[in-house]
Amino acid sequence: MDSLLSVKNLTVAVGLKAVVNDVSFDVFGAQIMAVAGGSGSGKTTIGLSILRLLPPALRIGQGSIIFEGKNLLDLSAEDMRLCRGARIGMVFQEPLSAFDPLFTIGQQLEEVLAAHTQLTKQDRQRKVLEILSDVELPDPLRAYASYPHQLSGGMRQRAMMAQAMVCDPSLIIADEPTSSLDVTLQVKMMELFVHLKKKKNISFVLIAHDLGMISQVADEIIILREGKMVEGGKVDQVMGCPQNEYTKQLIEAFQ
Amino acid sequence: MKKRTYPNSRTRTGVDSFRSNRLAMLCLWGLVIFYGLAICADFISPYSYKDEDRNFSYCPPTTIEFGDHGKPVYPFVYGRTLTFDTMHRRVYVIDKTKKYLLRFLKNGRLFGVDVPGRLYLWGADARGRDLFSRIWYGARISLSIGLLGVAISFMLGLLIGGISGYFGGWVDGVLMRICEMFMMIPGFYLMLALRAAVPENFNSVQVYLSVVVILAFIGWASLARIIRGMTLSLRERDFVLAAKTMGVPDIVIIFKHILPQTISYSMATLMLTVSSYILAEAGLSVVGLGIQDPVPSWGNLLSEAMEIVPVIFAPWILLPGLFIFIAVMCFNVVGDALRDAFDPMFRNDAAG
Repeated sequence: MDSLLSVKNLTVAVGLKAVVNDVSFDVFGAQIMAVAGGSGSGKTTIGLSILRLLPPALRIGQGSIIFEGKNLLDLSAEDMRLCRGARIGMVFQEPLSAFDPLFTIGQQLEEVLAAHTQLTKQDRQRKVLEILSDVELPDPLRAYASYPHQLSGGMRQRAMMAQAMVCDPSLIIADEPTSSLDVTLQVKMMELFVHLKKKKNISFVLIAHDLGMISQVADEIIILREGKMVEGGKVDQVMGCPQNEYTKQLIEAFQ
Repeated sequence: MKKRTYPNSRTRTGVDSFRSNRLAMLCLWGLVIFYGLAICADFISPYSYKDEDRNFSYCPPTTIEFGDHGKPVYPFVYGRTLTFDTMHRRVYVIDKTKKYLLRFLKNGRLFGVDVPGRLYLWGADARGRDLFSRIWYGARISLSIGLLGVAISFMLGLLIGGISGYFGGWVDGVLMRICEMFMMIPGFYLMLALRAAVPENFNSVQVYLSVVVILAFIGWASLARIIRGMTLSLRERDFVLAAKTMGVPDIVIIFKHILPQTISYSMATLMLTVSSYILAEAGLSVVGLGIQDPVPSWGNLLSEAMEIVPVIFAPWILLPGLFIFIAVMCFNVVGDALRDAFDPMFRNDAAG
């Protein structure tokens, strides 16, 4: 079976220092891949490498990122832009700062559709309302017309999720999507991931440091330490009988 | 879809805060009236701007009489005859034998008097042209030239500043060096140099447009630099990165997510710049390089008051200066109030 996303020997460096060192993993259709590790282990850098939105100081030294059969590192800037949002969505840790405070949630979701589709204003609006109810927002109409600061944290995170999937991407990269939420909301958010994976056939790259939470939902997991991949495989396997000392420490820390 | 309004949207609070500023509202209304009268210049002024009568050179303001020997009558003006006193100065003697009735809505104008009488509400200039009429025709040019100039230099400034700050790197380097070249030259000399580059045989419309372009050329650079600085910090914000991850095109990000964040600064600057452009046009016209006679602008109307002798005998020719002063002040007050109203850091919450 062909993988949806295949990261091979990815190395990202700032100057001569590698922040991501020779990392490889595959994500298949409708699968949740967890990328775990402590702060500074290069998790977020991997996420941004896939979208080719690394800060200018960071350079991809070597490796390839094959997504839907194309090497993303070889795409032109314009093709890459068309891929972002349309084929790969991204969810951030802090949804309050990830939304522009000057526009309503509805306007910002429609903007993504306008950037990728030829839909008319009415069709865009309909699609956005549909997506807002897909992410199980209690009152999609109200969310649509609200400014980001008028929603609660959990609702904002759901709206962010809706923005990432409004163009029906096949992959969503979620960078610590639950860190800003309280525990009950974290559980609900995780349930939403699983639900969307099944219903919409979306794969996720779930970046997190919280092993306890992601081990509940992820299919596969890789553990990073200082840019190097220390362990990877099926979640049950890695969590059940970790081979690496660092993995063991991480698991113990969350038990 | 049902429209919902939220009481604390940014525009709403900004507008409310602006409206509670009495002085600013007064100045805003002042500007609205000025622009309204300028647009209606053809209607409200009794004469065309080039309607001259050499027999009434520097004729003082006419008074409209509402009574004859204490009895109220239909308003009229007395005729005047020109004589010279012992010092060979012009003296206009009121000729009570001639009465010219005030006429309303005649020849498509709001008011006027029967010919051969002349109505000079605010006096006449050297060629016997009505200053009242010429001020409102001049307002058309003076008030629009600032707006047009500002519109152009703001489009340039926002676009170049936004692109420069957003993309950075060599784009930024090249654009900012160009800006600095414009900023190195003192404004008035740059204006004179650019004006010298304009062919002499231009008609009045072409002169008008060239003055607009000259004004726009002077102002954009400093604005572009400031917008670039603001963009440099704004582009690091999460929502800009989020928009990028959603594949929103760069130009849309600049126009929708970066430039609107600079609005409180830009709006205040816009208003303050309009006033400086009105002054710059006046400056050009006073030295004879702006709008050319017979077309009036407040600047070239005022240029007639450059010599002391006419000012002593016909002080009303200073009147256009008063209008420049009022317009510039109104723009400044409104600009300051807009900044206060729309910049959350500046908000004065004393009112509640």
